[in-house]
Amino acid sequence: MSECPRIGESLAAYADDLLEPAERSGVERHLAACPACRRQADKEQGARRLLRRSSEQLLSEPLPPGLRTRCEALARARSVAALARLGPWWRVRLVPVLLTVVVMIFGASAFLSIATRRSDALLAAQLTADHSKCFKLLGPPDGTAADAPNIERMLFEQYGWKIHVPSSSAEDDVQLIGARRCLYGDGLVPHVMYRVHGQDVSLFVLPGTARKADDLVTLGHRSQIWSRDGTTFVLVSAADAGGMASASRYVMKEAR
Amino acid sequence: MFRRRQPADADAFGAEVLRYLEPLYATALRLTRNRADAEDLVQDTLVKAFRFSDKFERGTNLKAWLSTILHNTWRNRVRDAGREAVEVDSTRLEEAEAAADGSGLNETPEQLLLRNTLDGDLRAALDELPDVFRQAVWMRDVEEFSYAEIAKMLDVPIGTVMSRISRGRRMLLDQLRKTRATA
Repeated sequence: MSECPRIGESLAAYADDLLEPAERSGVERHLAACPACRRQADKEQGARRLLRRSSEQLLSEPLPPGLRTRCEALARARSVAALARLGPWWRVRLVPVLLTVVVMIFGASAFLSIATRRSDALLAAQLTADHSKCFKLLGPPDGTAADAPNIERMLFEQYGWKIHVPSSSAEDDVQLIGARRCLYGDGLVPHVMYRVHGQDVSLFVLPGTARKADDLVTLGHRSQIWSRDGTTFVLVSAADAGGMASASRYVMKEAR
Repeated sequence: MFRRRQPADADAFGAEVLRYLEPLYATALRLTRNRADAEDLVQDTLVKAFRFSDKFERGTNLKAWLSTILHNTWRNRVRDAGREAVEVDSTRLEEAEAAADGSGLNETPEQLLLRNTLDGDLRAALDELPDVFRQAVWMRDVEEFSYAEIAKMLDVPIGTVMSRISRGRRMLLDQLRKTRATA
């Protein structure tokens, strides 16, 4: 029937019972005379009713282990940040809390500025774990090189990070494959992923921290740590990855 | 100098947001169809919600606000990954639907409703739908967003939203019949 396409466009609203009475009776007149459209309308209504009936169950999915804890950490990090912005009147009541915050900040900065061999090992261990996890989550790269300006734009638009991402370099056999953000400490840090000589390589960027340069092997992975302009960079790759030298030099030169 | 938002609010807001983890994760899982990506999407959503919490108007629907952030985040991620929804060939869909209708799997929608269609079957059938249809149907029939809200979140015209919902629902029912027939 010639009016079938027009009726078809109204079927969603018909199943949702959102049509004006006149429109509704027009659709019903057509459905009474057209078995094909009737069948479509029945299917739509059936699907909608099934989904509505089960919506509560569909929306209650058991959380994977650890997700709640990580989300709670994000919520806590946020209330600490809100406290730090408080005006004087509140300070009186919040002295104990603020003291805790100050101690935490002091502790953290001492931890970061001393940058002993041991804290480098901790840093390297956590980033190595992130390196393995992210590459596993992302799956094997599909062979297409990612575009550095696109990744820079994504990191800026989605997370507010302004960093220079070293692009692919055929000369050094470095292929940029993507970027994610990783949970590090209580915050998130950019994680840029490369393929170098067929090996997974990660570049982590830790803004607002400075460390002495270091080069160490942890959990079977080599971590090269260096700082530039108040930002620490860590390059993580499998320890036995041969021929990494020129690639590392390239990334270390380009990252900022 | 006073800030409008007070510390007690920060904690209360955080606690309130955490109440909606389950539905957020359920939605993320249906969009991504993959646990790791779903976890990631939920965490991203929370980071943004906390960062932009002063944009949330108190007294309005927090669950819907969070879900909107989640859908926007997913839309951007799909776009950035170059996995933009490929426009589905509608002739092919018509043919598939006609084939399903004529295949003898003629359980009527009423019969399907009467049977105890399990939530697991529904999830599995939803996961079989192409992304754009699955998302539209989920937003409308499970999350109960209006056509206009969905159009805004997906950045497509309302007519497109309605046709995706319509088509998605029918595909879902065909899929359920198929599951039934092979069970």
